[in-house]
This record gives sequence, C-alpha cells and structure tokens, in this order.
Amino acid sequence: MLRRDEERAALPLRDIVLMVVLGVTFGFLYWVLVQAWNALAVAMGPAGDLAQHVLFGGWLLVAPLAIAIIRRPGVGIIAEILASVVEVVFLGSPVGPTLVIAAAVQGFGSELAFALGRYRRFGWGTYALSGLLGAGLVFFYSAFRSGWYGQNIFWLRFAMQCASGVVLGGLLGKVLVDALRATGVLANFNISRDDTPAEVVRRER
Amino acid sequence: MTPTPVGGWLHLRNPTVKLVVVFVVSFVNLFLFDLRALGLLYAAAVVGVLACRAVSLRTLLLGHLPFLVFGIGLVAVNWMTRPENGLAIGAALALRGLVIGVLSIAFIATTPPRDLMVSLVQHARLSPRFAYPLLAGHRMLQTMPARWGTIRTAQAVRAPRGRNGRVRFGAKEFGQAAFALLVGSIRASEQIALALESRGLRAGPRTIHRPVPLTAPDWVLAVVAVCTFTALVALPGALS
Repeated sequence: MLRRDEERAALPLRDIVLMVVLGVTFGFLYWVLVQAWNALAVAMGPAGDLAQHVLFGGWLLVAPLAIAIIRRPGVGIIAEILASVVEVVFLGSPVGPTLVIAAAVQGFGSELAFALGRYRRFGWGTYALSGLLGAGLVFFYSAFRSGWYGQNIFWLRFAMQCASGVVLGGLLGKVLVDALRATGVLANFNISRDDTPAEVVRRER
Repeated sequence: MTPTPVGGWLHLRNPTVKLVVVFVVSFVNLFLFDLRALGLLYAAAVVGVLACRAVSLRTLLLGHLPFLVFGIGLVAVNWMTRPENGLAIGAALALRGLVIGVLSIAFIATTPPRDLMVSLVQHARLSPRFAYPLLAGHRMLQTMPARWGTIRTAQAVRAPRGRNGRVRFGAKEFGQAAFALLVGSIRASEQIALALESRGLRAGPRTIHRPVPLTAPDWVLAVVAVCTFTALVALPGALS
C-alpha cells in the first residue's frame, strides 16, 4: 500500500492518533496498577524503592508496540514522548515535565534494536534487545536523577531493571503485538501491509 | 469540557510560559545537593503557589502525601546503602522531589489541557497534527474509567467466583480486561483519525478558536521566577 516516496512523507494522522491512544491506554492502565501498587509499596517501606525496578519494563511497552505496528523510523521515540506528555499533563505525574527527557532516552533505547534490524526484523530476539536497551540506557539517566550512583546496591538495581526491560518491555511487547494482530484490529496499519487478505468465507444459507 | 479559570493570578498566565518555567526549574534542580538551597526553594515554591492562589492549602497538603511517602523511602534507602553521608543525600533527593512536586501540582491545577495545547501550537510551534490528537486523547482518557468499568462488569458476568462468593480480580483478570481495553482503544483511534481528517487537519495553515494570549504579565512571571530561583540557589553559597 505504502510506496517508497510516501515513506518519506509526514506521518499519517492515523499513526499519530494511534501513538497518542497507546500512550493514553497504557497511562490509564499504569494508573490502575499504581492504585494497587502504592499500598504494597508503603507496606514494603524501603524495599519499595528497589521494587520499582521489577515493574520498570512495563513503562517501555509503548515504543516497541508503536514501531511494530507503524514500522517507520522514529516512531518509538515520538510515541514515548507523546506518552510522557499524557502522563505529565493529563494524569499529573509527580515526576514533572522532566519526564519527557527520560521518555526520549527510553524511546531511543527501544528503537535502537529495531533500527539495527533496519525495521525489518521483528523476532523475539529483536524485542528482547529492544527491552534491554530501553531499560539499560535510561537507567544511567535515572541513576543520575535519583542519586543511585555511590549506593552499594547500584548494580543490583541495574540488573533488576535490565531483566525487567527484557521481559516486560520486550518479550511482552511481542506477545501483545501478535495478539493484537490476531484480533484484526491492526488490519489498516503498516504491520498488515504485506499480509494476504484473509479469505472471505461465504456461507450458503 | 475545558474548566473555566477561576480567580488566581497563575490561572491567567500563559501555559507555555508556565511549562517552560517548571521544566527549567525542575531540570536545574537535578544538579542541586545543597540542603539549604533546596529548603529555601521549597519554602519559596510553597509561598509563591499559595500567594498566587493557585491551589487551596488543603489540595497542596493532600498533594504532598505521595512525595512524603516517597521521600521517607528515599532517605531510608540512601541511609542504608551509602557508606557515608547517606542521610544528607537522601534528604536532598527527597527535598528535590518536594520542590518539583509543588510546582507540578500548581501547574496542573492552573492549566487546562486545552489551553496548554492551543498555546503550544501558537507559541511553541507544536504542529496541530500532534496537538489535536493529544486533545482527543485527553477526552478518551476521561471516558476510560467508565469503559474500564463496563469491561470489568461484562467479564464479571461470566467469571467464576472465589470461595467468598466474590468475583476474583487478580493478575489474569487484569490482563484480560487490559487487553480488551487496548483493542477497543485502537479501534477507536482509527475513527478519531478519520474524524480529525474530515475536519481538515491534513491541510495547510489553520486559524485558532479562542486563542490563548501571551501578555506582559507572562514575561513578568518568567523573569521573576528565574531571578528568584537563581538568587535562592546562589544565596547559601554567598553567605558562607
């Protein structure tokens, strides 16, 4: 459907809206989770600070989903930035507007893996690497922001965050994309560009 | 849907200016470790926010709760995991969170999302192709709790019950409801895109309904905020 020269044109509105909607939906789901999570985090006390790394990968999902569905360079970063705008402006995230910086770094990390595969490889390995880079790169920014350098649990934090990135921010993304594709809801997006149209089964009455 | 601004000097200020101020202060904040400077900044932020009647005292106090809980965790973790001066670093990090938190609360409370987006289009050259989808996303977010409730109710009708007779809501149920929500949202996104395109969002230059003004008091806000911030950061160093 999409030709070479069209690929260089501006992003279609359909894709922009999709990225915003992904940001809104995941923003809402995190909000639901956080309601349950906060009580637990308070109960865990100081361990709650460490436990944030376990769920970290979940924050990355928007980027691999956007790239896999839209299949154009840059959308991972744009999708993460849009999601952070939703978080800050609409949901009132306590991190404040600097969240946009973290989001851009996350998006860049997640996108790197797909860029290395020239946006043609969408196997388990690519998703896993995407989650690893997304979580790994932003760790050093977060560590600076939250003063993790110099703590003796620095590398423990790093390992936990990377593991979470691979599982929740990478592999889970592949599971979701495959499941979404199976529902047929992505039929009009680039991900289904090369699909042969499903055979229409006509039932005789 | 846009809340009408009620009173308060800060409510009337330009959203882009406010956003830039909060962003710059939050960002520079990340480089501060001096407890005295951070304490001064926090006090100034609280006084400024209350003086401008940006939020009520009650809202501000309630808004502090997550930062206090988070801050106590930060102090404890740094105290336990750092060989030396962990307590001071933990306290500095907690104070940073409070400064950013107070400013963010004031920003959110005084800035309707619609005005922010229109102002970003007018004053920060944000493309309407991103601004209007974001506003559509804001509407979608407002209806999402209701949609979530509908999905949960529909699933509860068929769900097996636990031992206490209640419908279970664990990780599996959350996943199922979340996926249903995601599918519905993506389907809706295509319709939103069509609706926006049919309103000519694809075509060239646009006029703006109810433009957001950028006036002299906005510049006063920016200058005063930046000067106060610089002075408070430099003050403890100059005194000692």
